[in-house]
Amino acid sequence: MDVTRYVDDRPEDGVFRVNRAIFTDQAVFEREIEQIFEGGWVFLGIESQAENPHDFFTTTMGRVPVMVQRDGEGTLRGFVNSCPHKGARLAQTRAGNARLHVCPYHSWSFDSAGRSKAIKSHRAGCYSAAFEQTDHGLAALPRFEAYRGFLFGSLAADVMPLADYLGEAAKLLDLVADQSEEGLELVPGQVTFTYEANWKLQLENCSDAYHFTSAHPSYIRVLERRQQEMSADVVASVWENSDYWKEEAQGVAGGSYSFANGHVLNWGIFGITPAIPLYESAGALAERHGEGKRDWMFNMRNLTIFPNLQVAENASSQLRVIRPLAPGLTEMRTWCIAPKGESAAARRQRIRQYEDFFNPTGMATPDDTVSYENCQIGYAGTVEPWLQGYARGMTATVEGGNRFSDLIGMAPERSVLADAQLCDETLFHSYYRAWAQRMAGESEA
Amino acid sequence: MSAPLTRAEAEDLLFREALLIDTQRFAEWLGLFTPDVEFWMPAWRDESSTTEDPDRELSLIYYKGRRNLEDRVMRLTSGLSTASSPLPRVVHQVTNVMVLEATEDGATVSAAFTCHRHDVRMNRSDCFFGRYEYQLVRQDSAWLIAHKKITLLNDTIPTVVDINSI
Repeated sequence: MDVTRYVDDRPEDGVFRVNRAIFTDQAVFEREIEQIFEGGWVFLGIESQAENPHDFFTTTMGRVPVMVQRDGEGTLRGFVNSCPHKGARLAQTRAGNARLHVCPYHSWSFDSAGRSKAIKSHRAGCYSAAFEQTDHGLAALPRFEAYRGFLFGSLAADVMPLADYLGEAAKLLDLVADQSEEGLELVPGQVTFTYEANWKLQLENCSDAYHFTSAHPSYIRVLERRQQEMSADVVASVWENSDYWKEEAQGVAGGSYSFANGHVLNWGIFGITPAIPLYESAGALAERHGEGKRDWMFNMRNLTIFPNLQVAENASSQLRVIRPLAPGLTEMRTWCIAPKGESAAARRQRIRQYEDFFNPTGMATPDDTVSYENCQIGYAGTVEPWLQGYARGMTATVEGGNRFSDLIGMAPERSVLADAQLCDETLFHSYYRAWAQRMAGESEA
Repeated sequence: MSAPLTRAEAEDLLFREALLIDTQRFAEWLGLFTPDVEFWMPAWRDESSTTEDPDRELSLIYYKGRRNLEDRVMRLTSGLSTASSPLPRVVHQVTNVMVLEATEDGATVSAAFTCHRHDVRMNRSDCFFGRYEYQLVRQDSAWLIAHKKITLLNDTIPTVVDINSI
């Protein structure tokens, strides 16, 4: 595929443009599924989703139904969730516990390590010798690896090790994983929603500092009312206790980091405030990890691990899994991700802040997803096919890190240190450079 | 002595609540709730059970206090929310109303609902359905809503569900 038709990347000329067709073209979409979602590392879930022996959870990689299963000895594996007999989906639920999976169609069965246990009426089946010599177990994912409790798989075998794929961005997953010595968990209650627009709009919006005061003025009005009319009934928002995002804010307020393979972070300074549920651990975390890393845990952080994982720690803490369904249709599965062992009060605060801001039933997310739909409608306007949304920060981006990334010994490919008004867009370049490499077939991820 | 709530009285209240939302009379709608109302739409924990403890599990919506509903109405009608402008057209059908328990000054009521929503922005119609559970209290001569639990059965949500379409 000639990717220069879709991404116009000429740093020497100060030009970075993306063609609208990247979001609408059916052939582009199908190649994305093959090259990106079924051709390299994608996020599957976290270990605590299958905590105990024989626990499993299900997900998808591109179009492929997948089951992640822990066996009786505690080993986690990833399988295609499809019976080798007729192809029927095997595990029917999002999660569960099963020593044995019995296919509901013809009763072939499999143990929790994916091995064939029994073929119904095997001896009476008059099978050929060739059949008897075939393995009847579940198809294992060609690659399956974990990093700090985050599970990834690849349907292509010839990919780099996960640690290389994550690269320096792994240190940002550490900031999530290290918030408790007991590790991470998903708060019970999964929320799934769809929007009628391309999956890359979600990729971009998470990293987009520029939209906040434009897309969410109704939420900002609510914050203002809460500040004017204090009420014990209202949970304090992280945003109303921070000024960094405000258009009139002064000084360095945050910025962005870009990494190899399409991972990005945008971040801002919240400070060590009781509005953040982690506040109760502020002292202990500083002792355990040092003040620099502790302060990073309290920064607003929107992390994308390309192509389908986002961990947004802003109004609360959200784990998102992006699933493209069609060029103009995307499914989002979302959870509140939290450190294990936090106090009941902190957990309650985290949950209330989450529901207030996130969720398709909250006060901010719908104004984002509806904006994606407006973009998708607008993309049909191909009189001028090249979008201008990748230009902010072009003269501010520098190679390597800065004094903030140094605090956690992190070496990104590029960084921008910004005041509140800069709202860098060069971090999107990392997405589209990785996208172009994968689509061109140049990179094995 | 006041008589316990009858089904006819419960229906009057629930149907009136639906009409106020459907016709965007949000100030009057807010007037149906007690100041300390619990307004709750749980999330689903798995295929067959919803979350049960709002302090330890996620809800789609959970508010304690009418003040929070006022915030929601303010956002919805502010003209500043892209997702809410223009407001979708909605009609709630509230059925299967039963008074499960009734005393002189309190009652538990269950009902089923469907809400048809036409999103004029996307020219798209959706239907949401589920069950309601109410705790009503008598204040002076009127019945007010002290607790409303909405169990949304079709919870793969197309883009947005706000307080006016559940």
